[in-house]
Amino acid sequence: MKRHTITRMEVYFIILFLLLPLLFEGALVAHLMVIAGTYAIAAMGLCLFLGVAGQISIGHAAFFGIGAYTCAILSVRFITPGFSAIVAGGLAAGGVARIIARPLLKLREYFLALATIGIVVIFQVVATEWEALTGGVSGIGNIPWCSIFGVRLDTPIKQFYGVWAIVYLGYLFSRNLMHSKYGRAAASIALNETIAGTIGVNPAHIKQRYFVLSAVFAGIGGALFASVLTSVSPESFGLSLSVMLVLMVIVGGTTSLGGSVFGAVFLSWVMHWLGAYRAYSLPMLGALLILLLVCFPEGLFRGIGARWHDLVRIWAPAGWRKEIEK
Amino acid sequence: MSASGLTEVRPRKTGERLTTGILIQLIIAGLTTGAVYGLIALGFITIYRASNMLNLAQGEFVTLGALGTIYFLNLGIPYLLAGALATAATVLVGIMMELTIIRPLRKKPVLILIMVTIGISFFLQGLENILFGSDPKILPPFIRDTPVLLFRSVRVFPQSLLVLALAVLLMGGLSAWSRFSYLGKAMEAVSTDRQGAALVGINRNHITRIAFGISAAMGALAGIFITPVYFTQYNAGTLLGLKGFAAAIIGGWGTYAGAMLGGLLLGVLESVSVGFIPAGYKDAVAFAVLMLILYAMPKGILGSRALSEARK
Repeated sequence: MKRHTITRMEVYFIILFLLLPLLFEGALVAHLMVIAGTYAIAAMGLCLFLGVAGQISIGHAAFFGIGAYTCAILSVRFITPGFSAIVAGGLAAGGVARIIARPLLKLREYFLALATIGIVVIFQVVATEWEALTGGVSGIGNIPWCSIFGVRLDTPIKQFYGVWAIVYLGYLFSRNLMHSKYGRAAASIALNETIAGTIGVNPAHIKQRYFVLSAVFAGIGGALFASVLTSVSPESFGLSLSVMLVLMVIVGGTTSLGGSVFGAVFLSWVMHWLGAYRAYSLPMLGALLILLLVCFPEGLFRGIGARWHDLVRIWAPAGWRKEIEK
Repeated sequence: MSASGLTEVRPRKTGERLTTGILIQLIIAGLTTGAVYGLIALGFITIYRASNMLNLAQGEFVTLGALGTIYFLNLGIPYLLAGALATAATVLVGIMMELTIIRPLRKKPVLILIMVTIGISFFLQGLENILFGSDPKILPPFIRDTPVLLFRSVRVFPQSLLVLALAVLLMGGLSAWSRFSYLGKAMEAVSTDRQGAALVGINRNHITRIAFGISAAMGALAGIFITPVYFTQYNAGTLLGLKGFAAAIIGGWGTYAGAMLGGLLLGVLESVSVGFIPAGYKDAVAFAVLMLILYAMPKGILGSRALSEARK
C-alpha cells in the first residue's frame, strides 16, 4: 500500500462520519461519539503494541490518565492554551513510558500483564494521594475546552469533528507505520523474537519504541478526554478502563487498526447501555466480556466471518441449499 | 479496604516518632497480612503448576470466602461450619469456572486467557454486589480479641498470631501433600513435564480441575483469615489478588516456599512503609517493590525456572 492512498472503504467511512451529526440530532449521540473517539485514539495506540508488536499491556489506562491529568493541570494551574496542553499530555505519557519501558519490557506474558496492571494501580494511588497536584479523590474540574487552529471546541458537534479529525490523523500515521520498515519489524517480533533477532531486528529496541508510541497515543486520547469532559478524577482511569481498552482492540481483531476504532465505538455504546442497569451492569459486563472472548477470540468481524456458514446453517430452514439450487 | 478497630496499628499521626515498639508492632501486623498474601500466592502457583495458566479471578475467591462466611454466620450457623460451607461453595465456583469457561479456551493466546479471567472476576464481583450488598463487612475474631503483651510495649492480638500459624500450617500441608500424596505427585509430574505426565497416564484435565479447587480453597481461607482484621466488600478482591500475584513473583515464581516468603516480605514492607510514607500510598508499595525486584532480581528471591523461561 502506498503512503498516500486512501482506500475506498476509508472514503465511505469519512463520509459517514462527516454526515453522522446530521443523521442523529441531539447532543447525546455526538457526546458519546466524542468519548468513543478519545478511547479510539488510545485503542489504536494499544493496537500497535498489542496486535502489531504482539505484546501485552493492561496498563494503558495509566497513560490515558497521565495524559488527562497533564492536560488538566497545565490548563487549569498554568493556563496553557488548549492544543499545546494536549500535545503535552501525549508527551508526558510517552516520557513516563520511556522511563519504565526498560525493566518492564523484559517481561513476557502473564508477568508483563501483571507489571502493567501494577502501573495502573500505582498511577491511581498517586493520583488519589498527591492532593496538592491532582486534587485528590475529587480530581480537577473546570478544565477549559481546548481549541484547534483557533476553533474552540465548546459544543458537542465541534468536539465531534475535532476529536474524530485527530482520530483520522492517528489512523493515517499508524497505518503508514504498519506498512513501513518498523511495522514489518514489529510484525516479525510478534511472530518470533528469536527469528526477528536473526534477521537484523533489535526486539528490545522495537518493543520499546512501540510501547512509547502507544503511550503517546493513549496520552493524547486522555488529554482530549479531560478537555472534552472538563473534569478528571482518579476513578475514571482504573483497571476497568484498562481492560476495556484491551477489549476494544480484541473485539476489532487484534491486528486491525480500523477494528480497534470500531471496538472503541462499540464498547462505548455498550457501556452506555449497561450503565442504565446500575448494580447489574458489572456482572453483565463480565458476562459480555466472557461471551465475546469465548465465542469470538479472534475479534467480532473475523469470528463472524469464519463462522458465517455455521450461523447461516442455524437460522436457515433445513434444505435451504437445495431450494437455491432448483 | 480500610483498617478496622481490630488492627494492631493505629495510623501514625504526623510528627509522632517511630519508636522501636511501633516498628515491631508494624512488622507483626505486616506478617499477618503477609501470610494472607502468601495464601493467595499459593493459589496462583497451584494453578500455574498444573496448567501453565494464571487465574486473575483469584482475588474473587478471597472475597467470596469472606462474604460467604459472613452470610452463613448471619443465618445462625456456627463459625467453623460457616467457614467450611463458604470454602466449599468457593471451591465449587472455582471448579465450575474451570469446567465451563477455562477449559474450552486452554489453547488460546495468553492475552485471551488473561482477559477471560478478568471478565470472570468482573462477573463474580457484580454477583457478590447483588447477593451480599456493597457495604463493607467484617467477621468477628476467631478467639478473644484482647491484645497480649509480648514484651515491654509490644502488644499483639492473638488473632494475628493464629492467622500466621494457620497460614504457615496450610503452606506446609500443601507442600507435604504435593510431595507425599499420590495426587500431589501427579500434579508435580504435570508441572515438570506435561507430555511425560500424559504418557504415564496422568489425566491433565483432572489435575487442572483439582488445582482450581485447591486454589479456590486457598483463596477462600485467605479471605476468612483476613476479614476479622480488615473490612471486606465486593470489590476488595482485585487488589488482594494482584498483590498475591506480585508476592508470588517476588518470592520466586513457581515454588510454594517462594510464594509464602514473598507474601510475608510484601506484607511486612507494606506495613512498615506506613511508618515512613503517607498511609494512602500503601497500595502502591507492593507494585513499586515488584518493579524494583523485577529490575534488580529478575528471578525473584528464591529463583525460578519458570520465570527465567518467561523472560528469555
